[in-house]
Amino acid sequence: MEILGDLWLGVQTAFSFWNLTYCLLGVFLGTAIGVLPGLGPTATVAMLLPVTFGLSPETAIIMLAGIFYGAQYGGSTTAILVNLPGESSSVVTAIDGYQMARQGQAGKALATAAIGSFIAGSIATVLIAFFAPLLSSVALAFGPHEYFALMVLGLAASVVLASGSLLHAVGMILFGLILGLIGTDVQTGAMRFTFGSFELADGISFVVVAMGVFGLGEILSNLENEADRTTVLTKVTGLMPTRADLRAMLAPVGRGTALGSVLGILPGGGAMLSSFASYALEKKVSKTPQQFGKGALAGVAGPEAANNAGAQTSFIPMLTLGIPSNPVMALMIGALIMQGIQPGPSVIQDQPVLFWGLIVSMWVGNLMLLVLNLPLIGIWVKMISIPYGYLFPCIVAFCLIGVFSLANSTFDIWLMGLFGVAGYILRKLDCEPAPLLLGFVLGPMLEEHLRRAMLVSRGDVTSFFTSPISAVLLLVAALLIASVLAPAIRAKREEAFQDED
Amino acid sequence: MFMRFVAAASCAAVLGSAALAQDYPSDNVTVIVPFAPGGASDTTARTVTQAMQADFGQPLVVENKPGANGAVGAAELARAKPDGYTIMVASIGTYGINPALRADLPYDPREDMEMLTVAVRTPNVLVTRPTLEVKSAEELIAMLKEQPDTMLFASSGVGSSDHLTAELFWQQTGTSGIHVPYSGGGPAQTDIIGGHADVSFQNLGAVAGFVREGQMKMLAIAAAERSPDFPDVPTFKELGIEGMEVYSWQAFGAPKGLDPAVKETLVGAIHGALEKPEVQETFKNLGFEVLANTPAEADAFVADEIARWSEVVKAGNITPEE
Amino acid sequence: MQGHRTKDFWAGAIYLALGLATVILARDLTLGSAARMGPGYFPTVLGGLLAVIGAVSLLRGLLRPGELVGRIHLKPMILVIGATLFFALALDALGLAVALPAAMFIAATASKRFRLAPVPLLGLVGFTIFCVLVFVRGLDVPLPMFGTLFGG
Repeated sequence: MEILGDLWLGVQTAFSFWNLTYCLLGVFLGTAIGVLPGLGPTATVAMLLPVTFGLSPETAIIMLAGIFYGAQYGGSTTAILVNLPGESSSVVTAIDGYQMARQGQAGKALATAAIGSFIAGSIATVLIAFFAPLLSSVALAFGPHEYFALMVLGLAASVVLASGSLLHAVGMILFGLILGLIGTDVQTGAMRFTFGSFELADGISFVVVAMGVFGLGEILSNLENEADRTTVLTKVTGLMPTRADLRAMLAPVGRGTALGSVLGILPGGGAMLSSFASYALEKKVSKTPQQFGKGALAGVAGPEAANNAGAQTSFIPMLTLGIPSNPVMALMIGALIMQGIQPGPSVIQDQPVLFWGLIVSMWVGNLMLLVLNLPLIGIWVKMISIPYGYLFPCIVAFCLIGVFSLANSTFDIWLMGLFGVAGYILRKLDCEPAPLLLGFVLGPMLEEHLRRAMLVSRGDVTSFFTSPISAVLLLVAALLIASVLAPAIRAKREEAFQDED
Repeated sequence: MFMRFVAAASCAAVLGSAALAQDYPSDNVTVIVPFAPGGASDTTARTVTQAMQADFGQPLVVENKPGANGAVGAAELARAKPDGYTIMVASIGTYGINPALRADLPYDPREDMEMLTVAVRTPNVLVTRPTLEVKSAEELIAMLKEQPDTMLFASSGVGSSDHLTAELFWQQTGTSGIHVPYSGGGPAQTDIIGGHADVSFQNLGAVAGFVREGQMKMLAIAAAERSPDFPDVPTFKELGIEGMEVYSWQAFGAPKGLDPAVKETLVGAIHGALEKPEVQETFKNLGFEVLANTPAEADAFVADEIARWSEVVKAGNITPEE
Repeated sequence: MQGHRTKDFWAGAIYLALGLATVILARDLTLGSAARMGPGYFPTVLGGLLAVIGAVSLLRGLLRPGELVGRIHLKPMILVIGATLFFALALDALGLAVALPAAMFIAATASKRFRLAPVPLLGLVGFTIFCVLVFVRGLDVPLPMFGTLFGG
C-alpha cells in the first residue's frame, strides 16, 4: 500500500521536534488571539503570517494550519461566552451556545464544542488522507448552476434557523442580502450603494457587521439591565458534559461531520454553509425543536463539528488545485508562494513531505487543541463572571483594534458604530441578528452565481433543472421551505377557525 | 488664499526633506501594499523588502491597505509626503488599468506619483478547458469566427488584466465571445479546469502547474519570446497577431517630488535586493521574470500602459455601467 | 389603539423605509432583464420584497395587539457608540496608547455602576500596556502608538 508509506512520511515529518513545537505554538497563539473579540481566524492568520516567513515550507504551513484551527476554536469560545461571532460559521454557534452560557452552562457548551470539533477534525483528516485527489473532482463538478442551487439551499436553511416570527426572519434575511450588495458588482464593475466612497468598493466586511450588530448591539442591550446579567452568569453549573450529554451529542456530531466534510470541499463558499446547514438539519430531526434558540446542546455540537470538518476539507481544493475556498486559504497560498512554492495540482508529487506532513499534523493539531482547551474551560467561565462594568469596555477595545486591523483603516470603525446602533434598535424590535448576517454572507454569492449561470446558459432557466446536482439541491431547498411554511399555515388556519367560533 | 497656503506648505515640506536627504534613511519606511496579504503584490513587497533589510539600515514595514483594486492604498500614497518614508508596491491594475478605466479615480500615477522600478513581470497566456476540441490557437480563432459570441471567456473580474487581454485579443483577431467575470483568478481557473467556461487569459505562473498536469490547454503566450518552460507554445507574434504582448507586472512607486538623492538610495536598495540569487530563485519558482528597470524607464512604461489600455477600454466600450 | 407603538409596526416601518430606499437608489443602475440581469436587477427585486414584508408587518402591527416597544436607552447608546467614534476620530492624533484608554473610559461611564476608583484605573493602564505590547509590538498592526499630537 503506497498510502501507508506516504502516511509514514507524514508521521515522520509531523512528529519531528521542531514541527511539533511550531504546531503547538501555532495552536496556542491561534487560540490566544482568536479568542479576543473582534479577531476572527482570517485576521489572526493574517497577523501571524509574517511570523512564519523564516521557517521551512512544511513547518510554516503546519504552524499556519495550527493557527487556523486554534483561531477557529478561539472564535467559537468568544461566540459562546460573549455572543460575538468572529466569522460566519460561528454565528450559528452563538445562537444556542450563548443561551447555554446565560443559563450557567458555558462550561458544558465549550466542552461540547471542543469534543465535537475534535471528533469531526479526526474523521475529516482521515478523509483527506485517503481521498483528497478523488474529492477534488467533486469540487470541479460544481459550476455556476450548482453553486446557485447550493446558495438557495443555504437561504432556505437560514429561514429554518430563525426561532421567532417567520415574517421578521424573512425581513432580516432580505435586509442582510441587500447589505451584501454594497460594493462593486462582479458582473459589470458598477459601484453600487457606495456613495462615491472607494472604501466601500469591496463591500462591507463581515466582521464589521458582526461586531456592530452582535457585539455592540449586545453590549447596549445588556447595559439596560446589568443586575440581571451578573446574577445569571454567576450561577455556573455543570462544567463538563455528563455521560448522557455525550451520548446525546454523538448523532449531531456525526451528521455535522458528514455535512461539513462534503461542503468544505467546495471552493465557492461551501464551507461557509456547513455550520448553518447542520443547524437546520439538527432542528429538523430533533424531537424537541422548540429547544433550539434557547440553549439546545445539539445546536452547538452539530454546527461546531460541521464547521471543523469543513475547515479541514477546505484544505483539499487548496492543496490539490491551488484554489482558495476562503480568505484563510488564500493566505495559506500566499504563505506557500512566499516560500517559493506555487500551489497547484503538482504539490502532492513535488512536495510529498509538505503534503503528508500537513495532513498528519492536522490530526496532531486537533489533539493539541483538545488537550489545551479542556483545562482552560474553567478559566474562560471565570472570565465571564468578571463584573460586566469592567468586561464590556475591554470587549469594545478588542472590537476597535480587530476592526481596524481588517484594512488598517479607521473607516471600518465608523461603520461598526453605525451597525451598533442598528443592532440595538433591531434587538428592541425582536428582530434576530443571525438571519441578517446569513443573508449578508449569502447575498453576494447568490447573485454572482445566478447571474453567471444565466450568462453561461444564455438566459435559459431550465438549465437549473437539467443539471442533476442543481436539481436535487433545489428540491431539497423547496422541501425545507415547505416544512417551515406548513406548520405556520396550519397555525394560521387553526387561528382562523377559532376566530369563527 | 488657501491655495497659496497649501503651496507654501508643500514648498516647505520639499525643502525640509531636501535638507534631511543626506541622513536618509533615518526612520522606518512604510511600504503600502494596496491589496490583502497573500496576493502577488504582497508577495513581491515582502520578498524584496526582506532582502533589502540587511543593507538598508532601517526597517521597511509592509502595510496592507486593500480596497477597490488598489485605489484606496494608492490614493493614500498620492497624499503622502514625498520624503521617501512612504512607498508602494502595486500591480498593473493599480498603476496601469485603473486610470484607464475610471474617471473618478482619487489618484493619477502620472500626476501624483513617480515610479522607482518595475520589479517583476509574468506574461499572460491563452488557456482553454481540457475538453475543448482545438489543438492550436489558429484552430481556436477559426472556431471563434465560425460561431461568434458563443464561447465563454472567463476572467478575474471586470477591468482585470486578463479581461482586457481578452478584449485586446478580440480586437486584434476580429473575433468575439461572451465575457464571464469572476471574483478573482482562482474561481476563473477552477471553472476552466472543471469545463464550465471555455477560454481564459491567465498569468503564466498561476496556470503552469495545471497545464503540465493536462488540466488546461495552453495555446499561446502573450510575451516577446517563448517561455523556456513551455518551448512548444508559440507567441502571438509568431501567429501573426500584433500588439499582443501583455504582462502582469508589479512595480515600486513613490509620491511625486522625491529628492533625487533619496530616490537614488531607494532604487539602489531595491535593485540590489532584486539581484540577490535567493530573490531571483523565489520569483523564478513563481513564474515571474525580474525586470528591475530604471525610474525613467518605469515612468515611461507606466504612461505607455495607461495609454494602451485606455484605447482598449474605449474600443471595447468597457467603462463600468452605472 | 396601541398599534403604532408595537414592535411589528416599527419593524415594518423600518423594513418599508429600507426597501423603498434600496429601490430608489437602484434606479440609477441598469436594470436589465431576467435573462441578462443588470447591476440594478437584484437590488430592485430585493428592495421591493423587503418593502412588501415591511408593509405586511406594519399592517399587522396596526391591526393586531402585540408587544410594545421597550424604552430605548439613549445614554448607554450615546456613550458606547460615541466611544467607538471618538477612537476612530482621535486615533491618528492621539495614538493607541492614549485613544484606547480614553475610548474605554467613555464607554465605561455607560454602566450604571460606574465609579471612579484607583483599582479599575490601574487595570485600564495595564490593559492599555497589554494591547500596545501585543498588537503594536508583537503583531505589527500598523496602529500609531503615540499620535501626531505627541510627535509620533
